[in-house]
Amino acid sequence: MKNKNKFETSRRRFLQGVGAATVASQVPAFARTFEVGQAVPAAIGANGEKSIVCIFLRGAADGLNMIVPYGDSSYEGHRPTLAMDLDDGLIRLDSTFALHPALAPLESLYKSKRFAPIVCAGSTHGTRSHFDAQDWMEFAAPGNRTMREGWLNRYLMATKTESSATFRAVAIQELLPRSLRGTFPVLAVPGNATKKKSNKNLDIFERFYGDSGGMLEGGEMANMQPDNDAAGVVESGRMTIETLRRFQEIVGKAPTKRSGDVTVSGSAYPSSRFSTGLQQIAKVLKAGEGLEVAGIDYNGWDDHTGEGGVEGKMATRMTDFAQCLAAFCSDLGPELDNTTIMVMTEFGRTVRENGNTGTDHGHGSAMFVIGGDVKGGKIHGDWTGLAKKDLYQGRDVPVTTDFRNVYYSVLKNHFGYKTPQEFFPDFRPQEMRSLY
Amino acid sequence: MKSPTTKSKLEPLSQREKVSHLFSRLAFGARPGDVDKVLKTGIDAWLNEQLQVKPSVNPDLKERIAEFETLDLSVAECSEFISSNNAGRDATEEERKASRRLQRLPMGELMQAVALRAVLSERQASEVMIDFWRNHFNVSFTKGRQIFSQINDYDREVIRDNVWKDFPTMLSDAATHPAMLNYLDNHLSRRPPSKQELQAIERRAKRKTGSKTQAAEAVSLATQRGLNENYARELLELHTLGVDNYYSQNDVIAVANVLTGWTFDGGRSGSHEYKFDSKMHVEGNFRVLGKNIREDETGDNGQGREVLEILGKHKGTSEFIAMKMVRYLVADVPDEKLVMKVAKVYRKTDGDITAMVREIIGSELFFARENYRNKFKTPFEFIISALRVTAAEITSLRGLENYLKDMGQPIYHCDDPTGYYDVAEAWLDPGVMALRWQFATDLVGGKIRGVKVSDAFYQQVPTDSSPRLWQHHLTKMVIPGGAGGRTRAALTTVTSEYLEKTKTPDFYKAAPTLVGMLLGSPEFQQQ
Repeated sequence: MKNKNKFETSRRRFLQGVGAATVASQVPAFARTFEVGQAVPAAIGANGEKSIVCIFLRGAADGLNMIVPYGDSSYEGHRPTLAMDLDDGLIRLDSTFALHPALAPLESLYKSKRFAPIVCAGSTHGTRSHFDAQDWMEFAAPGNRTMREGWLNRYLMATKTESSATFRAVAIQELLPRSLRGTFPVLAVPGNATKKKSNKNLDIFERFYGDSGGMLEGGEMANMQPDNDAAGVVESGRMTIETLRRFQEIVGKAPTKRSGDVTVSGSAYPSSRFSTGLQQIAKVLKAGEGLEVAGIDYNGWDDHTGEGGVEGKMATRMTDFAQCLAAFCSDLGPELDNTTIMVMTEFGRTVRENGNTGTDHGHGSAMFVIGGDVKGGKIHGDWTGLAKKDLYQGRDVPVTTDFRNVYYSVLKNHFGYKTPQEFFPDFRPQEMRSLY
Repeated sequence: MKSPTTKSKLEPLSQREKVSHLFSRLAFGARPGDVDKVLKTGIDAWLNEQLQVKPSVNPDLKERIAEFETLDLSVAECSEFISSNNAGRDATEEERKASRRLQRLPMGELMQAVALRAVLSERQASEVMIDFWRNHFNVSFTKGRQIFSQINDYDREVIRDNVWKDFPTMLSDAATHPAMLNYLDNHLSRRPPSKQELQAIERRAKRKTGSKTQAAEAVSLATQRGLNENYARELLELHTLGVDNYYSQNDVIAVANVLTGWTFDGGRSGSHEYKFDSKMHVEGNFRVLGKNIREDETGDNGQGREVLEILGKHKGTSEFIAMKMVRYLVADVPDEKLVMKVAKVYRKTDGDITAMVREIIGSELFFARENYRNKFKTPFEFIISALRVTAAEITSLRGLENYLKDMGQPIYHCDDPTGYYDVAEAWLDPGVMALRWQFATDLVGGKIRGVKVSDAFYQQVPTDSSPRLWQHHLTKMVIPGGAGGRTRAALTTVTSEYLEKTKTPDFYKAAPTLVGMLLGSPEFQQQ
């Protein structure tokens, strides 16, 4: 619990703008232009709270088709039909790597040094099962079948205080991602659960689920108590009511925009499910209600067939993904300085394309860290090349950056939370010093 | 959380609780009168009737199913149905729309049929197990257009028809069905083409295009064709042994090689049925699970058959299937001893599904108090049971599709080969409750297109008694096992509020609100 205090202190100090060397690292890049000791201007966000937006690409996204190693001499040989070159519209990042053309909307974030791609990132566990790999990445405990608390939930629990905002975490989808599951109550808000008409329902069902404390203790009522009544259901219902009301207040207050509309800050969201989710997250973040963690999934990256290069199923998906993400960042405006966006996937895909212009389950992939305080604009992670002898089991991208080191670095540098030893079971994380 | 007065774990279930439990686990809830009927005839009689192959005789269901055009079609017929509804090149926008609608008809009809049967069929235990196998051997319409013609046949031939047979039969039927081979990409998995084949491809491309570069491109494309591990992996991980259980990555690759050539005869003039294409097959012997699997010398699919046979008899398979069945029928955390017992029955009976289900129901754990109402309903179970307990009148179930989609469980649309999970952990997120309440109030409010809770339902409850008794009867209809203290208290408040503000109270007017509340209550979320 030491860390809780540390966290709280640094946070409060930051808010008060107290000038001290230890605090300087907490000050967002945007605010660094202001004199230390001066109150942080309201423009950077209602209260300068920091937050993480965690995006999971489900299905094992092909990192090599996102951050493309066009300069690697073995690349083309492995992928005769998928491989691309600068002539195909790749966006050059350095002499080895380029962004897939469909990720063009992210180029300006890279140029403004807010986008840090990490190559050869992922889990060192050898599983090629989507379901295990996803669980383990979200529990931050590869190979461990007893851990049932998501890594972000563990963070929320560890830093919980009496005065914590009630609205610290949210997922905009039907079901919580596992990273947010656990003891700390987190609300999953499906995109359409914010309709006004559900308010009446909240009033009705509060009678069953609301916090009516002693009703079940003693007296006649207790004798009518059923067996095996699901405490979990009641708890979940109570939370639904509390947080949904709050959520509606926040989202209802913010000006609504249709997909495709240009926001004040000039961002154009495409029209898609992912877009709707990000728009809602942006509203909550901008409302400054103390949201620290938001989770959202993007499904469907299991490109066994028709993945394609410049064009193909993956390019189409990446176009939507990148447009949404770029719109989200520009929508956040200065609030991006207080935000770290993490993009991850359970594992990568085979270096060699398969028989169906696709790729099979592999090992290492890429991770993205985006935000105002991130040292973006360069490729992170050790790249060991695609020569067959350097591949994991002779076929896959190796993992040179364990995803837990990324988690650790983000929590430490962005939230000022240094994970205690037990946070990552059987693993001693190392800070990625280059990241912040 | 439990109050000290919680009924002791040792106290056995009452007969009524037992029957209500039976209708929770081996049925999608009880329709009005079901529980009382079985209380008279006995649990064993009901089970004997249910655990066997028998078509539904419900005339209402029969009539509705008969209205569907595409349910009985084979894959070939269904493909023809879909391609015959292609919009021509000069089709107007209107015609295109109509064509798209017709091409999606098989999907829409199957989704409706699955829900209709779950609600209306009196063969409830069959429907419950069909739901289990549908998820175990998941295929999904999200795969894309080609699969639109394949799943109707798959549902009928692989899942429904095998529901009380044996696991190895179902495994082998799934492995040779176009829908599964397509869904997990095995139909494309093949050995790389030989030199002669490449030359033939080059010649053909040259003749067709007259261009050397295009011919070279065709060759380079063809060189890339090869192995696809997708199905082989899920066959081991999800269909038989369980993840990383008894097998390694080498086994996955070996099985993928063995199963090359397991494809279907697609294309315009093809039969659309399963076929073994020896030209796609990687020849050779492979080591699978420590056994040398020899090439079938007759040039047929014997090698793959042998692998399926080994998997069907494997101890790992018996344990994995037993574990999943116990989890589905008894508790989210399956009792290990019971799993081992059921696995033993599997091995003794060569995977006889009926025998395994009987073993589970016969165990004392099935009716144990600790397992009573301890499983959270999936969205599908929640919606279907709401329609059953209220004896909802159904003209169409299309209106339900959006609710299922919002709750994350649209029928035959599970992207992941795991199928939909059956444990609370996967579904019990706070946001989900808001959607369930919405559904409950929409259902009693008559807001769901094609579905209506009739006046007759409410009129079954005698109104000549006290408000408290009236409320009690209503509760029993929705939650036959009885509701808890908090729920009852909430209902009482609503009833008395209504009585206070109404001069001439009419119970029928208040009943829908109460039933909606009951459907959204904690008790109704559990099975």
